[in-house]
Amino acid sequence: MELPLVQVKNLKTHYPIKGGLLNRPIGAVKAVNGVSLDIQAGQTFGLVGESGCGKSTFGRSILRLQHVTAGEVQINGKDILGLDRQELVKARADMQIIFQDPYGSLNPRMTIRQIVREPLDTHKVGEKADRDAEVMRLLEICGLRRSVADRYPHEFSGGQRQRIGIARALALKPKFIVADEPVSALDVSVQSQVLNLISHLQKEFGISFLFISHDLAVVQHISHEVGVMYFGELVERAPAEELYAAPKHPYTQALLKAIPQPDPGREKEQVPLTGDIPSHNDPPKGCPFQPRCPVAKPECAESKPPLKPVDVEETPSKHLVACWLY
Amino acid sequence: MSEENISTGRDSLWSKSRRKLMRDRAGVAAMIVVGVYGLIAILVYLGLIGENWSTLGEEGFGGMSSEHWFGTNINGQDIFSRAIQGIKTAFEVGLVVAVTATAIGGILGAIAGYFHRTIIDEVIMWLYGCIDAIPFYLFVAAVAFSLKGTELQPWGMHIAMIATFWSSTCRIVRGEVIKIRGLEYIQAAKAVGVGPLTIVRRHVMPNTTHILLVQSTIAFVGAIKSEVILTFLGLGVVDGVSWGTMLSESTSDVLRGHFGNFLGASGFLFVLVIAFNMFADALQDALDPKKVSS
Amino acid sequence: MSESTSKPVLSIQDLVVEFKTEAGLIRALDGVSFDVQEGEALGIVGESGCGKSVTALSILKLIPSPPGRIAGGSIKLDDIDVVNQPDDEMRKVRGSLASMIFQEPMTALNPVFTIGNQMVEIIRVHQKVSKAEAKRQAIEMLRTVNIESPEQRIDQYPHELSGGMRQRVMIAMALSCSPKLLIADEPTTALDVTVQAQVMEEINRLQREMNMGLILITHDLGVIAESCTRVVVMYCGKIIEMAETEELFRNPRHPYTRGLLDSIPRIREKKLETLPIIEGMVPDLANLPKGCRFADRCPKAEDHCRESEPPLEDTESGGKVACFIPN
Repeated sequence: MELPLVQVKNLKTHYPIKGGLLNRPIGAVKAVNGVSLDIQAGQTFGLVGESGCGKSTFGRSILRLQHVTAGEVQINGKDILGLDRQELVKARADMQIIFQDPYGSLNPRMTIRQIVREPLDTHKVGEKADRDAEVMRLLEICGLRRSVADRYPHEFSGGQRQRIGIARALALKPKFIVADEPVSALDVSVQSQVLNLISHLQKEFGISFLFISHDLAVVQHISHEVGVMYFGELVERAPAEELYAAPKHPYTQALLKAIPQPDPGREKEQVPLTGDIPSHNDPPKGCPFQPRCPVAKPECAESKPPLKPVDVEETPSKHLVACWLY
Repeated sequence: MSEENISTGRDSLWSKSRRKLMRDRAGVAAMIVVGVYGLIAILVYLGLIGENWSTLGEEGFGGMSSEHWFGTNINGQDIFSRAIQGIKTAFEVGLVVAVTATAIGGILGAIAGYFHRTIIDEVIMWLYGCIDAIPFYLFVAAVAFSLKGTELQPWGMHIAMIATFWSSTCRIVRGEVIKIRGLEYIQAAKAVGVGPLTIVRRHVMPNTTHILLVQSTIAFVGAIKSEVILTFLGLGVVDGVSWGTMLSESTSDVLRGHFGNFLGASGFLFVLVIAFNMFADALQDALDPKKVSS
Repeated sequence: MSESTSKPVLSIQDLVVEFKTEAGLIRALDGVSFDVQEGEALGIVGESGCGKSVTALSILKLIPSPPGRIAGGSIKLDDIDVVNQPDDEMRKVRGSLASMIFQEPMTALNPVFTIGNQMVEIIRVHQKVSKAEAKRQAIEMLRTVNIESPEQRIDQYPHELSGGMRQRVMIAMALSCSPKLLIADEPTTALDVTVQAQVMEEINRLQREMNMGLILITHDLGVIAESCTRVVVMYCGKIIEMAETEELFRNPRHPYTRGLLDSIPRIREKKLETLPIIEGMVPDLANLPKGCRFADRCPKAEDHCRESEPPLEDTESGGKVACFIPN
């Protein structure tokens, strides 16, 4: 089997909670608490979870936009966490990011041309004169007219800004892109346009994506594999078809049921979950989902279930779940 | 309104701000008044007008005439000429203080903000905390006295004002930079591999210039007012003439029923301060990126 | 629904709302008319800038003015003529006759007062009761929206509550004076899916129990399908389709409605290669095309669609649609 393009092992990103009279660390927010995953070249991994589950922190951590506490990240054969500053700058050409907020992700005082050119200038790609032509090419790939180049971000709608952000991310011909909720701030009719653009880019250029979203429905069409995060940890991970057809973890099942369906005739589902995501100040014992879990057993509160393959017969199984039920 | 697509053509936030400023009638009027003052200041500086401010006349307290528009003072000197000399003095102090104080405040603020939560930030915050804790006029008096008799004496007032005026700019810029630092376009630049100094120069500083502009207008007015007060108290301008000099002369004039000095100096000061404040408000409205970009 | 038996709590006729912007005068609402019956749940759906939130604000006369202004039409809220009602009279109407919940409960709650403080204040604006009595009512309201141990919660500050809990508090506040109409503007958009389901369930239950009129404003047709009996679809400040929920989802008449329904992200049996989309983007309100506002994005548009604007006309199935060539 081919070596995966992205390999993350046991990644941990903790923030200290400071308090007390001397403002000393008194605890830690375990935003990402031991997540492992790998992404094959040219494939998309959909990472799903609710706000505060650590999915964005994870995305930023593996690109080293965020201080990482422990773990190992290999992207395109490079040990990302071990690179020195100059090597890291070089490695950035291979890994890029697309952001959620189409308003905050573009510098309001720069023209579109300057924004998309910045990566090319920073890495001194080609001759200066050729870079403008490259900018035009990138804009066209992303479905923008050449005439937009000398305008400013505030003149564009959310969807167009998101395309500009994608053009910037593509500039260095990266092998891997983290897409951090790239469509959740957009209107429905524009969401699908951007999703189609991303899956087109993936096929055209063979880019691997880590697609982060809070919405399982958005991730379905774009992902080869899907992981569900809860409270800083992966609770389930499976090839996309399998996850949607046979979700195992009670949390994944609840997430799927909670999506409002545009089908008025449908028998209304019972509200699948009660309560809220636990607090980092007072993390639950055992399985983090246990206080909200409709099928929790007494032993769930005692120890944390590991992420392990569900089906032992099929070797090697790609469907992993962290639940004592399996 | 949150309408996404209201765009009006190809322009930067700067040109949008300029258009917005030009539509503000009170702002434009104020700008013209300030411009006229500025023009007079330049002409005086070049020695083209008002150079006879120190010429002694035959008799004191002359009334208004075609020769002396505002009359003359106790020494027979032309009050109008002295008043427009006062414009020059005011602009000199205002410009020096505003530019220097805002530059220092802007740079320190940007550094403190970018290195938020480090020792650098702590030191800068401690510094402006100390400065802010000293009552302003006490501080100026202390500086002025300590520089008395040294070469720096004529600059004592400037130094004191610069040393105090930078702190408000610093505080505001620091706050803004802390906000900008968390924005995604900074993350995007980092993700591309742009170095920290380039990020500050290209992405952080340009997004604080609107604050610097507004802050410098505020510092300008503040400096002019303080200059007049300090000179009035004898701590300010030593050679040359200022509205403060005229006002301090007028304290005895007024008792004798001569209002030329008083009206000349306070009239000029009043109009300038009002106009400048209105201009600063208009500028603030026009430059506010939240209002401009919506 | 039978229009003869119930009388409308809200009746909007030809509402026009204008905003002054840099680009000139724009019409955020251009001739909007609809009714809400007692006990009816009406959904208003559309994308950003379509005027759905402006409609909600107009009903309570909360349009920021300037730059906005109600330029024409009428709003009848249970026999009260909202457009010509003086502001101090409107203040009494808000909260008692009709109240509103917003997308972001954190910004709608005052962070420096406990939720109890804020609830008591609202109750005492509309009813002459003692503080103790108002507090008792507030606790009762919190219990109604299924907040556990309301006696303790009432002394907490907004930041001590989770997003879902805050939205429940907002609902409790909105309902504390038993309004006849509840306007919910994207009430669950800021919440997570699992919490969203709980909050919507709460709104639906209370609406039925209190027999209120409900206007649910959202961009999410999925939420509408589960909670509303009738739907209004808006585009660029106009109503382009209006129908019973089941009818609208089964048989959307306007091409825009069809496009919206198709582009909702949903779990499908089979993965799609490309998702269905609506081409292009919403036109600039300051620079609207001649003719139908959707024509430029419409797959079916013909020449005359770009010449004149289609009126909102009755369909044979009891709804209304503004299209020359409806499906």
